[in-house]
Amino acid sequence: MTGPRRTPSGTEAPSSLRRLRRIGTEERFLGPLEAAVMDRLWKRGAATVREIVDDIGRSRSLAYTTVMTIMSRLHEKGLLQRDRTGKTYVYRPAVSREEHRERLSRELVRGLVDEFGDVALAHFAAELDGVDGPHRAALRRIAKESGDAPR
Amino acid sequence: MLRGERAFGVLILLGLVSSLVLGGVLAVLVPRAVVLATHGAGGPRDVVSILLIGLAALGITLGLSSLLRQLFATLRLIHRLLARRVETPERVDIAAGGLDLAGRIDVVDDERPFSFCYWFLRPRICLSTALVGRLGRDELRAVLLHERYHLVHRDPLRLVIARYLAAGLYVVPMVEDLVEHFTLEKELEADGHAVSRIGVAPLARALYELLPDADSVSLGLLVPVGALSVTEARIDHLVEGRPLEMRVSPASVALSFGALTAAAILAAAQAPAPAQLPPVLAVPGLLVAPASLLFVAAVSGGVEQLRLVVHR
Repeated sequence: MTGPRRTPSGTEAPSSLRRLRRIGTEERFLGPLEAAVMDRLWKRGAATVREIVDDIGRSRSLAYTTVMTIMSRLHEKGLLQRDRTGKTYVYRPAVSREEHRERLSRELVRGLVDEFGDVALAHFAAELDGVDGPHRAALRRIAKESGDAPR
Repeated sequence: MLRGERAFGVLILLGLVSSLVLGGVLAVLVPRAVVLATHGAGGPRDVVSILLIGLAALGITLGLSSLLRQLFATLRLIHRLLARRVETPERVDIAAGGLDLAGRIDVVDDERPFSFCYWFLRPRICLSTALVGRLGRDELRAVLLHERYHLVHRDPLRLVIARYLAAGLYVVPMVEDLVEHFTLEKELEADGHAVSRIGVAPLARALYELLPDADSVSLGLLVPVGALSVTEARIDHLVEGRPLEMRVSPASVALSFGALTAAAILAAAQAPAPAQLPPVLAVPGLLVAPASLLFVAAVSGGVEQLRLVVHR
């Protein structure tokens, strides 16, 4: 039987790179509860399931097992790393919030199209990842023309 | 007339002419197909007939499958997104003020920043919560103005028709070029509509906010290049107001007109009374030339349509 693969530092790696490549685009995007868990972990840096349950529990009622399932799923997706401390796992984000946001933007249109095929929509943002440096610079320049720099 | 409208008009015209010519071939071939099915193929004329019937069947299948695929994929996307519909945030209502979009905006809970116009007869606008959260009021209004243009012109419906024509008329590769041109023209026009109402900067900021890796901007000169992405062409248009050049390859034009001419000749040659044709067309061996041209166009267009199917 094969156990979970571990990195040299002892941290349990999120399955494998192959698994990451295999999962679909849709799986890499987060549902509302997954987003809430990631948000708490990005703020805290590391936490156990119980800590996240207590944290989210201040604003909504959630079962321990629900949060545990969500965090295991996020680990499967490669978004969380985990270390075993005694009998419990301590989870940490495997990617920063900025890296995650970057990935989402990059896969925005590709994601919709891959996920649903030949959709008949008129997108505002299409082929965003195909914009080269000079065009980015030009866009930044005209975006600043009103005096408000892009954030 | 707007350039996008003109492009759509040309597309429909070319679609109608091509359909008439290819429909003429089909009308001649159907009775022959019955004869061939009962008596079998006899000579070169019959072989050409069988191949033409195959091409026509493939065109009809491609067109219908493209139409059904688009409808099904669109329904699936809309159904899944709308299951996550949330109450329209107040800032969206404020940004949409005076745009006559009441009851036609859906905001869905999704962390991908997207917006699009969907549905066919009475289109609607869909915005994600991530997009609403990322953009300021003016940028949001710019996006709504852009989508409103698509909504008013029922662009999703036109897109379905255009793609149906491109798939069904795969032996006329110019149709695919025209569809690409039409799609881009519509984006430029929607941008132009937004700019005329709110100015360039909010629209540019909205686009810029959605670019991946937006902070690592490499400075350089804006130079026109051969293969611009949709967004790059839109940026060019915003920066310089440069009208979009129609890019139809000479090979595509030659193949398209060649294929249509060949189809007309073959229809005449396959007609029940070929004796009325010029003597040159009565020679069975000479059918090979127009048939070959038609097949080259079919392979070229068919490969492109298959590429689209595989890509999507």
